[in-house]
Amino acid sequence: MQLHITTYGTYLHVKDSMFDVRRKGDDGRVLSATYSAEKVTHILLATGTSLSTDAVKLAMRHNVDIVFLERDGDPMGRVWHAKLGSTTKIRKRQLEVSLGAEGLRWVRTWLLAKLDNQAGFIRSLKKHRLQHSAYLDDKLARLDALSVSISTLDGARVADVADTLRGLEGTAGRLYFETLSYVLPADYQFNGRSSRPAHDAFNAFLNYAYGMLYGKVEKTLMLAGLDPYVGFLHRDDYNQLSMVYDFIEPYRGWADEVVFRLFSAKKVNKSHVDAVSGGRNGGAKAGESTPGESTPGVSLNAEGKPLLVNAFNEFMDNDPIRYRGRNLVRSHCIQLDAHQFANELIGKTGGMPELTML
Amino acid sequence: MTIWVLYDIVNDKARSKAAKRCQQAGLYRVQFSCFLGTLTQNQKDTLQLQLEELINEETDKVYIFPMSRSELQQTVLLGQAFDRKLVTDEIRALFF
Repeated sequence: MQLHITTYGTYLHVKDSMFDVRRKGDDGRVLSATYSAEKVTHILLATGTSLSTDAVKLAMRHNVDIVFLERDGDPMGRVWHAKLGSTTKIRKRQLEVSLGAEGLRWVRTWLLAKLDNQAGFIRSLKKHRLQHSAYLDDKLARLDALSVSISTLDGARVADVADTLRGLEGTAGRLYFETLSYVLPADYQFNGRSSRPAHDAFNAFLNYAYGMLYGKVEKTLMLAGLDPYVGFLHRDDYNQLSMVYDFIEPYRGWADEVVFRLFSAKKVNKSHVDAVSGGRNGGAKAGESTPGESTPGVSLNAEGKPLLVNAFNEFMDNDPIRYRGRNLVRSHCIQLDAHQFANELIGKTGGMPELTML
Repeated sequence: MTIWVLYDIVNDKARSKAAKRCQQAGLYRVQFSCFLGTLTQNQKDTLQLQLEELINEETDKVYIFPMSRSELQQTVLLGQAFDRKLVTDEIRALFF
């Protein structure tokens, strides 16, 4: 079970070799709740909370992941024991592959899987939205064309075609989100992606869901013995989790689906988000909104987070799908793919994997 | 599997230790000397060994009952009963 510590002033420490969460109730009395280290899998801490070193030690002994979250759900750091998940050979190979043609093949596989999943989701939207089928068919045709462009791109290294790839991926993303917005109820419609801050509730939910997915994928990669910082397509900047951003692509669709379902079922209302002003990057990212426009931001509040987190966990861990001939929950599918990727890097299995299809 | 642990332990110190061992193993206290939760086979065996060491075989009694998921579904709960979702690990996230 995940412990989300978000209320200001909450203290996590150890009592009788168990995690104990202590906070002041509304009436000023101290509330405390104790959870066995056997049951806790993740501890997620927001700002304004505290943690004892013994709690960190207990967590490391029991492989409990301690993650520090930004307000938008982005994991900014984690405490994990300093051992590699697997052999160093995998990391060496990961570096080698990132520089050659093989790396490009992987990047293409991930991007194509992402586009496939996006198209699959739009097709599933068509089933109950016959009135929009002409619009949806048009978008599907354009996504297909982009898939073909990506699959025919060739080069000696990722760097040679990186800009083209990003362009194609970006176009696909714009088409896809345009479509999602189009089929939503009028109150929820949004104008493209925005982050730091999000301009609307849909983007605020989506950013938080991606944040949770980043955290999940990062841990998955570490468990498989891969280096989250050695990316194939994404920049090798300081402190950029490049491999996470590469590897996450096929699974973004799952986060989209969770958020979309909440909105299309009208489960989200004004009480789930707060208005915020400005952001760490001083508003929207370049190219995501018209310059000079200053839209107030939107962020998930203490009521919105449980709504999303519970829906996300339910979708990822309680709802098995048929996957490579087995019934697996989605979290396990990601882990399986990560292990397979690592094994392929060191030549343990043959051929390219079939990645997740929605 | 779903595990019930019920005990009568005479010695105060041993009794409170037994309660702690049950909680550390991941069981929830549903009554004063009655614990319930989901454990793996290994966790159950570990707990059994720990409790064996604590008790006095002449005076005390400890029961460790496994229960199937479908049997738990048929359980009747009245009044201030335990949270069925918590003890079956269906609750994935808690917020503080």
